[in-house]
Amino acid sequence: MEIRSLVETAELGRGEEAPSLLLAGANKGKIIVQELFKDFDSLRVLDGIHLEVGEGEFLALVGPSGCGKSTLLRMLAGLMKPSGGRVLIDGEEVRGPSPSRNLVFQEHALYPWRTVSQNVALGLEIFRFPPAEIRRRVKELLALVGLEGFDDYYPHQISGGMRQRAALARVLAVDPDVLFLDEPFGALDAMTRLTLQKELLRLWDHSGKTVVLVTHDVEEALYLADRVAIMSAVPGRIREIIRVKDPRPRDRGSASLVSLKRTVLDLLGLEPKFSQTIPAI
Amino acid sequence: MAERTRAERALEPVGERGEDLGGGASPTSPTGKPPSAPGLRRLTAYGLAFLSILLGWQLASLFFPAYLIPTPTQVFLRLTRELGTRKFLFTIARSFVRLGIGFGIASLLGVVVGLASGVWGPFRRYSRALVSILQSIPPIAWVPLFIILLGFGDRPIILVIIISAFFPMAVSVMNAVEHVEPVHVDVARLMGASRLQLISKVYAPEVLPAIVTGGQVGFGNAWRSLIAAEMVGGVNIGLGWFITIAGEVADMAAVLAGIVVIGLFSAALDSWVLEHLKRRLLKWKYAV
Ligand SMILES: Nc1ncnc2c1ncn2[C@@H]1O[C@H](COP(=O)(O)OP(=O)(O)OP(=O)(O)O)[C@@H](O)[C@H]1O
Ligand SMILES: [Mg+2]
Repeated sequence: MEIRSLVETAELGRGEEAPSLLLAGANKGKIIVQELFKDFDSLRVLDGIHLEVGEGEFLALVGPSGCGKSTLLRMLAGLMKPSGGRVLIDGEEVRGPSPSRNLVFQEHALYPWRTVSQNVALGLEIFRFPPAEIRRRVKELLALVGLEGFDDYYPHQISGGMRQRAALARVLAVDPDVLFLDEPFGALDAMTRLTLQKELLRLWDHSGKTVVLVTHDVEEALYLADRVAIMSAVPGRIREIIRVKDPRPRDRGSASLVSLKRTVLDLLGLEPKFSQTIPAI
Repeated sequence: MAERTRAERALEPVGERGEDLGGGASPTSPTGKPPSAPGLRRLTAYGLAFLSILLGWQLASLFFPAYLIPTPTQVFLRLTRELGTRKFLFTIARSFVRLGIGFGIASLLGVVVGLASGVWGPFRRYSRALVSILQSIPPIAWVPLFIILLGFGDRPIILVIIISAFFPMAVSVMNAVEHVEPVHVDVARLMGASRLQLISKVYAPEVLPAIVTGGQVGFGNAWRSLIAAEMVGGVNIGLGWFITIAGEVADMAAVLAGIVVIGLFSAALDSWVLEHLKRRLLKWKYAV
């Protein structure tokens, strides 16, 4: 609660000053990104990212294609080293992957040689849980994401939406307290996407997990997130952070969401490169 | 096809899905119990191939005297008689022991070297160079050297088999490791997998198809090298030896009997045993 109100106050500053205000406050942010740069050879992809995510917060990250969202997420997860700056999680600098934070990839990335239940069991096997315990937890998780009865199916035998559920279950199995989602529903049809958005909220609610979701879909961001960070085209910067105050479950058609959507689209629309890639909503 | 079944499944109640995996339309069930249509077609193809070989042989035997080319019937009679002797059975068994040991060691080494060089860059460059040099040498060319080093007997033959089966396996695995999906590796790294766990949980299963192909190619090489090495290796037991000494006394029926055994065994092993093993190991690929 305390953290929330802290973030709230910081939001008054809005945009790029907000993080520094927070830093001045206390070390309460679950994730703190300071002066983060990333270069690929001569190409600067991320240019001085400042960001702070509170404990238990749901943050959405939107921005034009290629602005470095996936790159940012990979650095937050410890899969990639920054060229400059640093990422702190729980006050400690991220230097590599850790089971306490996990990432769901743009494509499901399930192992095709493992069945659904074996895929979900992956992390538990790596943790060397006893087989009986693994079976029990996998069963629970499959029920949690609505995949009961599909234990023995291979990924190519289930639908795209089911694959994303399985990928989510695989990550939830190791119970990370920070969850990074890289366009997890990007490849799905509109209807499946709506369903999975609702389920994601259900799973996140009361879990206390901190979530950073990358998405192309502004409506998805506004429907799900506490705050939406809008990035500029490459080299990526956080150009604005908008708070969504509506209580959940939200009505996608409510006046406040519609007007927020216009604001976000406007912000994105300032980038001429992006005008074609905004999904028609 | 995949799209259709997916859509169908989405409409079915959950409880009924388990049994309906194969579906009515697809001939191969995941358990592979009933003889599937592709299997039957393959069997027919093999039957036809055998028939045409027999026919060619029969025709050839019409134009040559029996002491040069005996008829298939004569050879099969001879074969059944030989199969009744302990000596011939021991000779076959000995060949198989050599093959098994050599092929087993070669496969194991090939997988280990392939995985290691796939995972570790400097070692990969080194082993690629090494392989490209050594691979071009026909394994049988080593025989004289090995005989002098190891003496007559099983050991030089097994070593030749190892060399012949090792390269296809190592190269196949090496290439496959380079094509392992980076995101699959990332998933396991995010879970905190150790290097060894990365190999056992990601690399090894992902390159399993390549291990199977490498094994199939390696097995063919091993089999040919076995016979060749037994023919020139100065041993006094084994299928290759059997053919050689039969040739020395111009016993063409025995030569051909030996060749028939080689042909039948390798066809059976390659098309049946290895094929079954492949389907077993790559169950997920054949699941419809
Ligand atoms: N490993 C890499 N090596 C070189 N360049 C890279 C690498 N990864 C990403 N890039 C470049 O960095 C830029 C940002 O890529 P990134 O995948 O982070 O974008 P994104 O915002 O996630 O895009 P999208 O919305 O399309 O997924 C792109 O121009 C890309 O070409
Ligand atoms: Mg991306």
